[in-house]
Amino acid sequence: MPPLTPGREAVPDMPNRLDMAGLEFIEYATTRPQAFGQTLQALGFLPVARHRSREVTLYRQGRMNLVVNAHPDDARVAATANDHPVISAVAFRVRDALKAHQHCLALGAWDAPSHARAMELHIPAIQGPGSSRFYFVDRWDEFSIYDIDFKPIPGVDPQPPSLADMGYFGVVQYIGAGRSGPWMTYLEHLFDFTPVPDDQRFGILPKGKLMKSPCGQFLWQLVEPDPGLDDEWRSEERLQRLGLGVPDVSAAVQHLKSRGLSFVDARTLHPEDRGALTRPVMGVSFELVHQG
Amino acid sequence: MNPLHSFGMDTITLAGSLEAKLAAMKDAGFEQVMLMARDLVTHPHGVAGAVQAVQASGMRPTGFQVLRDFEGLSGHLHSYKVDIAQSMLKMCAAVGARVLLVCSSTSRHASDDLDDLARDLRKLAMMALPLGIEIAYEGLSWGRTVNQFTTAWDVVCRADCPNLGIGLDSFHVFAAQTPLQALEEIDPERILLVQLSDFMWQEVPTFEERMTTARTFRVFPGEGVHSEQLAQLVMQLERMGYRGDYSFEVFNDDYQQLPLDTIAQRARRSALWLRDDVMHRPAPLPAWASTKA
Repeated sequence: MPPLTPGREAVPDMPNRLDMAGLEFIEYATTRPQAFGQTLQALGFLPVARHRSREVTLYRQGRMNLVVNAHPDDARVAATANDHPVISAVAFRVRDALKAHQHCLALGAWDAPSHARAMELHIPAIQGPGSSRFYFVDRWDEFSIYDIDFKPIPGVDPQPPSLADMGYFGVVQYIGAGRSGPWMTYLEHLFDFTPVPDDQRFGILPKGKLMKSPCGQFLWQLVEPDPGLDDEWRSEERLQRLGLGVPDVSAAVQHLKSRGLSFVDARTLHPEDRGALTRPVMGVSFELVHQG
Repeated sequence: MNPLHSFGMDTITLAGSLEAKLAAMKDAGFEQVMLMARDLVTHPHGVAGAVQAVQASGMRPTGFQVLRDFEGLSGHLHSYKVDIAQSMLKMCAAVGARVLLVCSSTSRHASDDLDDLARDLRKLAMMALPLGIEIAYEGLSWGRTVNQFTTAWDVVCRADCPNLGIGLDSFHVFAAQTPLQALEEIDPERILLVQLSDFMWQEVPTFEERMTTARTFRVFPGEGVHSEQLAQLVMQLERMGYRGDYSFEVFNDDYQQLPLDTIAQRARRSALWLRDDVMHRPAPLPAWASTKA
């Protein structure tokens, strides 16, 4: 493509071989779906549908879909320790799910078998860190994947508005000591994520390495253990936390406090308008991040 | 620090059960062991039993061997090998080994294009990455396309992956008669494993001789006719800044029929020769000197 302005150097588009277009849903696995659901509801997510064959509930607010998987036969549910919910999957929106899946397998990803039953949607997946999965979803434009596998909860608004204009901002992945380089290569090689320069930081926990999705719609933060705290080189790498973008952190914090959530005092770290961290409930925290 | 720190034996040298091998190595003062997949699958209590035995011994796995003939295949052969590689990686992770040894392909079905080999090794490294495993690619001296460490390093550079490096085996270096100066080209950070052994023949010119010698008649460093060369190799690696492990990759039919402690003591003598006479490492302080008052 010729440069738009004559005499100006053309800036090549960043590669996006999967045609990634954002996050379709985040899945948590838990043995205590009711208790965890209360936290999600305080955060503004509402249960809108239940899976037809599995103990799985779809929560939603605004553009965010969040799935709570409590199916007893699922190894990822059984693997949750201390009744703490864990992020068990991240679903990427792509143009062609099958192609994306095959592309990743060809580059060295591990296949994750589907447990779709008859007439259910087979969503291709690869294995992620720990026991998590990365799903590829291509049916997010014309119709919803949830219409096939889920039954709406009667009397509930299927599209509840977002609270404080919240949207998915990114995912925080905890990794072993010295593992930033390898994981950055992995995410770049498979998904075309690109590194964000170290001087660009968001939120109140500006640690580790940041990468940006090729669609530019979300960030991925890789955090190594604090030196001295964790000598175990392979200390349960996992998807640790969800970042939620809000235009006004202070207003969002006030709103969420009034709904019963409490926050780690961020004033000692950074001004409250950059971000805020909820106090862990059942071991799970959410990070609010200022997003213009 | 243990005087045998950074040296380890390979299970392939000893006869007997995994537990007996681990005990003999430990009694001789070793803290690490290079494991073979067969150690796990032939254990009477299966892979889980072998993993438990290794953990109970307190020995650190130096690495896990060996994936063969992986790179350069296509179609169904490639798919088959990917499947095998995944099983190997699972065992490697289960036993807590951080390095999987991969030997250069001998298959006549494999491509001889170095970029094809690099592409497959990169895929393997990606498979290993989430498991926290590094891939050490070793040039077998009878490998079809890659039979010297210089070519193995070329392929590793083409693949350019942070958890992919080379494994050096002194036997193959000497058998192929690769000049040691070529080591200077290699980034010591990317040497993931060094396997040492000596042998009794001056030269092994043919692939057949190399295979036979490599599989039946290697000896510990300092016991063969290449000791001086071996010392040079180790000194050069030390000068370059290599600080990783040295494992004794000694296949020897005689050692297979001698008591385990006898062989483990030979390995100990070899390690001490390397430490004291080759590397001139300072002797460790006695325990009382490093204990706080």
